[in-house]
Amino acid sequence: MLRRIPALIRPRPFSGLPLSSGNWDVSVAVCVPPTARSGTGRTENNIQRHFGTGSCIYSKKDSQSVPANEISQKTAETQGDREETQKKNLLDILKDMKVELSTVNVQTTKPRGKRPSAGLQAAVSRHRRAPEDPPKNRNEFLSSELVAAASAVADSLPWDKQTTKSELLRQLQQHEEETRTQKDREKSKISFRHIISEMKIARSPSARVSTRPQHQIQFDEEMDNSSLHLEKPSDFKQRKGLFKGKRLGIFDIKAFADEAPETEASPSLWEIEFAKQLATVNEQPLGNGFEEMIQWTKEGKLWEFPVNNEAGFDDDGSEFHDHIFLDKHLEGFPKQGPIRIFMELVTSGLSKNPYLSVKQKVDHIEWFRNYFNEKQDILKENKVEFT
Amino acid sequence: MAAAVSARWLRFRGGPAFLQTARRAGVGEAKLCCRFYPGSASLPKVEGTNATGIEEIVIPKKKTWDKVAVLQALASTVNRDPTAVPYVFQDDPYLIPTSAMESRSFLLAKKSGENAAKFIVNSHPKYFQKDVAEPHIPCLMPESLEPQIEEVSEAALKERIRLRRVKASVDLFDQLLQAGTTVSLETTNSLLDLLCYYGDQEPPADCPYRQTEHAENLEEATETNVQTSKMKTIPWKAQNNAERIFALIPEKNARSYCTMIQGMVKHRAYAQALNLYTELLNNRLHADVYTFNALIEAKMLIASEKFEEKWNNILDLLKHMVAQKVKPNLQTFNAVLKCLRKFYMHGRLPALQTLREMKYLGIEPSLATYHHIIHLFYHRGSSLKTSSLIIYDIMNELEGRKFSPRDLDDDKFFQLAMNVCSSLRDLELAYRIHHLLNTGDNRKLIGGDLQRNFYYSKFFSLICSMEQIDVTLKWYKDLIPSVFFPHSQALIDLLQALDVSNRLEMVPQIWKDSKEYGHTFRANLREEILMLLARDKHPPELQVAFADCAADIKSTYESQDALQTAHDWPANTLQYIAVLFLRGGRTQEAWKMLALFKKHNKIPRNELLEEFMDTAKASDSPALAIEVVKLASAFSLPVCENLAQRVMMDFTVNPEQKEALGNLTISNSSSDGDSSSDSDIGEDKRER
Repeated sequence: MLRRIPALIRPRPFSGLPLSSGNWDVSVAVCVPPTARSGTGRTENNIQRHFGTGSCIYSKKDSQSVPANEISQKTAETQGDREETQKKNLLDILKDMKVELSTVNVQTTKPRGKRPSAGLQAAVSRHRRAPEDPPKNRNEFLSSELVAAASAVADSLPWDKQTTKSELLRQLQQHEEETRTQKDREKSKISFRHIISEMKIARSPSARVSTRPQHQIQFDEEMDNSSLHLEKPSDFKQRKGLFKGKRLGIFDIKAFADEAPETEASPSLWEIEFAKQLATVNEQPLGNGFEEMIQWTKEGKLWEFPVNNEAGFDDDGSEFHDHIFLDKHLEGFPKQGPIRIFMELVTSGLSKNPYLSVKQKVDHIEWFRNYFNEKQDILKENKVEFT
Repeated sequence: MAAAVSARWLRFRGGPAFLQTARRAGVGEAKLCCRFYPGSASLPKVEGTNATGIEEIVIPKKKTWDKVAVLQALASTVNRDPTAVPYVFQDDPYLIPTSAMESRSFLLAKKSGENAAKFIVNSHPKYFQKDVAEPHIPCLMPESLEPQIEEVSEAALKERIRLRRVKASVDLFDQLLQAGTTVSLETTNSLLDLLCYYGDQEPPADCPYRQTEHAENLEEATETNVQTSKMKTIPWKAQNNAERIFALIPEKNARSYCTMIQGMVKHRAYAQALNLYTELLNNRLHADVYTFNALIEAKMLIASEKFEEKWNNILDLLKHMVAQKVKPNLQTFNAVLKCLRKFYMHGRLPALQTLREMKYLGIEPSLATYHHIIHLFYHRGSSLKTSSLIIYDIMNELEGRKFSPRDLDDDKFFQLAMNVCSSLRDLELAYRIHHLLNTGDNRKLIGGDLQRNFYYSKFFSLICSMEQIDVTLKWYKDLIPSVFFPHSQALIDLLQALDVSNRLEMVPQIWKDSKEYGHTFRANLREEILMLLARDKHPPELQVAFADCAADIKSTYESQDALQTAHDWPANTLQYIAVLFLRGGRTQEAWKMLALFKKHNKIPRNELLEEFMDTAKASDSPALAIEVVKLASAFSLPVCENLAQRVMMDFTVNPEQKEALGNLTISNSSSDGDSSSDSDIGEDKRER
């Protein structure tokens, strides 16, 4: 499903983008030109459709919720109908955008000075907040009608047809991409896993061609925010902290928030060996006799502290009172009479027995309960009460 | 009642003492509060319980302590004794180490003794069957290392895997396969684990951890441990048993792939590991976090690519982690940072971004993380001018924290941080780092012997060069020798500090110490000491002490002479020792030093001869003075004539001596250009 369109799309401007969060600024800026170009009346409609498939459009213009492809196609056709001058404008804008793409900060240069409407700005901020997507999503496809429409536009222009066409297509593709991301966010569960499982990974991704400008920008930033050579040592208190500033922006904390803890499988050899190596990291010669005793205790050579008469006695964590106070197990026996007296003697004896576990003691009492139950008739005969 | 008493007392006293008594009364009242209030408070409560009836008695749960809690509490009360060697050494005069080398060999001897005992017990288990301990102590009994199950079955295979018998496991697996038994995937995977971890070789013999640890320590001294420890591992062989068995598995699951990838990375088959990862993806499986960590390492160590390519490859891997919903761990990011270290300057910004990503994900950076970052920002090659201030940020972050080991590189932080301090010449920062080291159990993370020595040497030399002498000496007493044995360079630093603060009277003591720490034959140290002693004149009693010290140093040279025949005395040393003897009033020995000059073909300096002349004058012996002149002429020194004149002027010389003097000066001036003369005279003197 994910065909690549290598010749037409020219992935150059995208190639390094995931490095910077400027990614979204760029794609937003690309969306601006339709506002600048088209008339005021229809503009609202168009814009909203362009950002379309998000939740807002479905709530407002539900009747017209046509697939985004179609809308884009219409746009392309209207573009085709425009006069020569407007085409020129369009091309200029596109060229402007190319310039902007190379700089990270898009906000400084607005195409043709028109400010985007309030609704658009809201959309912009929405995009900013959106998490970045892995690069695979870039390989979007455009429907063949769309490509045809774009080439029609390009044909109607007198200039270099190939470039115009590819530029148009690129723009359209960005709409597609947004559509896709927004859709994905709504049904995020199936998103990447699905895509990836459908993909075969080529050994060396060829999409990355020139990333140099990005890095150069980074180094420039580095010069002014991380290695402040001429700063005096007294200034370092005023420096911004180690953790303030841009991060890689690859991982999203929400993705791991609801993750269930891993199933407790027995640790593999790798994990065991890693733990062993880790233990040697802080292995230091023993500092004093007590530390030596700690080591012996851990090796099991020393009586465990605190020394008491329960050492080495493991009874499923039951406490001493469970061993001593066994009266609570006598419920259901008569409150008085010979059986009661007998059972009290039994519990008294059991409470002094150090060799039985609590469970064994309780079983012992239960055995008597059963025994007396079985002998009900004899007891009745002898007028001994038992219930 | 007490209040009433005190009030009455107050009334009786009254008068001028009022203020004072009032204060006392106040105290009394305060006490009263303490004593009476609890009672009055508890009273209504008792009544309340009476009113409601008998409360149910809740038996409090027994508080269970960790078995070592008591000991830990006790251990924390014991401080280091700066006057003693560490506890690990035998408390016996013969076995107390006095130098770094000795301490190392003692520790190794102790450990190897333990290992030998363990080896004997394990290799002859039949002689060690008597169980004397009650209750039973398992670790004192021989371990059963022989497989118990004999027949060919999966259980037997599992047992061999548990005992880490690589070859036996493979053989058994093959037998099972030939017999047509299918081995479960679980067991096959653990067999693969075994094969991949040890690279299809038998695990190294007894106590591998000990040996590797020491080997690593050695390497860390050269700071190339990463490469060398990699070199040490057995290389991955193509078509080895692991690959063969892996190919035999009909339905490989993610774990099979993961363990293969990790094994390949561990045994340096990086390209193959990356290929296998591609295969894993094509089979629509997911790698686990350990595999990704290994892959990041593989990307780093694969053949040279440009920075951008490598970095993008690593970012791709991280994105794959996101896509496969693998939560990264500390090792992931540490691997990334370790990789970035290779890029020097270029790695800095990505490193900071990585750190922030960790913070964002709530993964607490460990010391190894900071180690990598410091390494990146303070590379040895980078000049001081461009040094960054990031270490201050890091210290602000770390101060007062307690660490436990979480990464294998955690023990390298302190050493590097102190090194950076030393290159920044920032004593305050060094103190902060030292304080961090002594917070909680952090000192356990200082690393091995050599790392500890490195850390303290840097710390001490920084103190020597920046701190006041009294504080320096306090540190000297505190650290040496109970924490580390100093290098000769550390001692020279200390000597220079003493020199700067004009405390040369300490020098003989330092010489004694350095002899103890095994620096008796360090030429640079001895010369430094002699130079400091001989440079200026001091009060007589000090000079006597200095002369004793010089005699001691001289004896070390003599014993060295006895050891090696071709040994050479530097001229400076002779000079200084002679001067010190003269000033210390050991004229006889000083003259013997002059004989040594001749013996070793060294020429005394003018100042020394002047000094000899001074002593001759002080003892008013013209004969000695003439001897000095004779000597000077024997070396055919230009100063000879001046000396002769001085003898004429300062001493009352008899005619014979006068004549002799005249001869000396003439012969000297006549044979001035004659190169052979001085050697001739030297020979004459020796014959005499």
